[in-house]
Amino acid sequence: MAGGTGDKVDWRLAAPLGLTYLAFFAAPFAILLGISFYADAEQTRLGLDSWAKFYGDAFYLKVIVDTLKLGVFAVTATTLLAYPLALLFRAVGPRAQRVLIFIILMPLLTSVVIRTFAWIVILAREGVVNQTLLALGITAAPLNLLQTELGLVIALTQIEMPLMLLPLLTVMNQMDQNLVDASRALGASKWRTFFRVILPLTLPGWIAGATLVFASATTAFISQSVIGGARLVYLPALIWQQSMVVYNWPFAAVASLTLLFTVLAGIMALGWLGRFARTG
Amino acid sequence: MTVTTRREFLAGAAALGFASALPFRASAAGSLTAAIYPGTWEEAYRGVLAPALKKSADIDVAFDSLFAVDQVAKVRAARGVPPFDCFVLDPGPAASAMQAGLFEPIDASKLTNAAKVPAGLITSHAVTCNAQVVGIAYNPKKFATPPKSWADLFKSPYVERLGLTGFQTTFGTVSIIEMAKVFGGSETNVEPVFAELKKAVEKAAAVAAPAAMPGLFQQGQIDVMYTNTNTVAILKGRGVSIEFVQPETGAITFQTTLHIVKGADNVASAYKYMDMAISAEVQSALQKQPYNMIPINKDVKLVETLDIKSVDELTKMVTHDWTKINPLRAAWIERFNKEITK
Repeated sequence: MAGGTGDKVDWRLAAPLGLTYLAFFAAPFAILLGISFYADAEQTRLGLDSWAKFYGDAFYLKVIVDTLKLGVFAVTATTLLAYPLALLFRAVGPRAQRVLIFIILMPLLTSVVIRTFAWIVILAREGVVNQTLLALGITAAPLNLLQTELGLVIALTQIEMPLMLLPLLTVMNQMDQNLVDASRALGASKWRTFFRVILPLTLPGWIAGATLVFASATTAFISQSVIGGARLVYLPALIWQQSMVVYNWPFAAVASLTLLFTVLAGIMALGWLGRFARTG
Repeated sequence: MTVTTRREFLAGAAALGFASALPFRASAAGSLTAAIYPGTWEEAYRGVLAPALKKSADIDVAFDSLFAVDQVAKVRAARGVPPFDCFVLDPGPAASAMQAGLFEPIDASKLTNAAKVPAGLITSHAVTCNAQVVGIAYNPKKFATPPKSWADLFKSPYVERLGLTGFQTTFGTVSIIEMAKVFGGSETNVEPVFAELKKAVEKAAAVAAPAAMPGLFQQGQIDVMYTNTNTVAILKGRGVSIEFVQPETGAITFQTTLHIVKGADNVASAYKYMDMAISAEVQSALQKQPYNMIPINKDVKLVETLDIKSVDELTKMVTHDWTKINPLRAAWIERFNKEITK
């Protein structure tokens, strides 16, 4: 079998998937990179014009920052909500756990398009939230929640929640309860136990979840365009517009590569945090 | 009991696999793949035109559901291997595709219904299948008086309830051009409207993707928008309180056109398909609820639910030259991005 005993790895088993990746990811990626070095939309002259236009313009730099910010907000919001739920999951019995798992998985069974449109119904001027606030007399006029970053973060938090929770629940379940008990018995408060014992032990799960949420939120084209609207411009919508409406493929390629590297940088930062946590 | 060897089994499986990969030719006289706009257009062409074509010419149609810009992008990306046989396009993307040489020429003598269509609607590379009319839509329950002109959209009480979209669609582009004209601009100069848009965007109820507009209207997030009569009729049919207004400077009209894709495999079937699309039978069915498409066939008697009384009205409406607009559009889109976002 492959590499089981000797130090020689049998590449033949890995070849099908490896070659598929090579053909269907690496090759198109190379083409994308090549296209980005055309200077004009008609792809007649080579040059760094598309790169210069993108990186020399404060507006596009702001789009990169906004896209990253959206990812960070989504990770923060899902973290704050997922940890209490994960701790609750540890504390309850197996039957309640099954119910919780079902509730957590349910959003994954409906399409992201449906969930996004449901948020429009909830957040709109005449939606559930505004009607409730008006009826209770908390607000005098409907709040603008749609088309705002806040509304988008709220919706993305719900949409991406399972991606944070599932890895977190897995590590929580593997955690040794004796460690938590020992910490409490030695006089640590609940908070201290959480920060000194539970958090470090569950960090690998959180990193996995944060990676998924970050990558998913920064590239959530549908939610960004439908809930965010045209006032908020993020990289995925910009790529679509430049490639499909304006037909400026070199510029779209630059934006695509930027998105790819932005998301990768975020993921690498999380990975580095993981290594730091293990050694630090 | 027969024993199948592994080799025989694999050979059989491979044969099955190949067979299932072949396009179905279930005894039809012909077939084609046609691109179609998602939504109403797809429902209409799938539900009305496809069965009529099957009945009259025994041709099977497969639909590829794509917006105009996506169709052009797909054919350009396919580089000579057409992903479908027939386009359906608006003037802007049609002008781009024409420039890129993505059409086969049209021979009008192959269309039996050609004489039933007003002159000029069938050209060397295009067959007009419908007209669209663009103007202002508003919610009559929310305003005492309806907006009358493009300029009204920038004034209270309308601006606070306005839904704005940019230049990424045909209807959005021509509407903003008409607004620009009101403020002293022209078809190729939208400069004056940007200052107004900048002020309006602070107050407007929403700035969103074109596809999101009907949903936002239905949800009461916006109460005024610029759109086509087709969208208004559909929302009305769903019980939404909405009315169409022709602005003082005139409503805008543009044509939706069918084209044969350069290098298409099924040219003969594509002619039959286009001929059926402009036939009186299909045109009169498509003008009714829930499709509400404005017919171009002279034999069709217009129904009440359309926002125009006769096809002659179209000749009095505002039209635009997309060969002039297209080169400027990318810059307008970029500017809209930069100036109208937060």
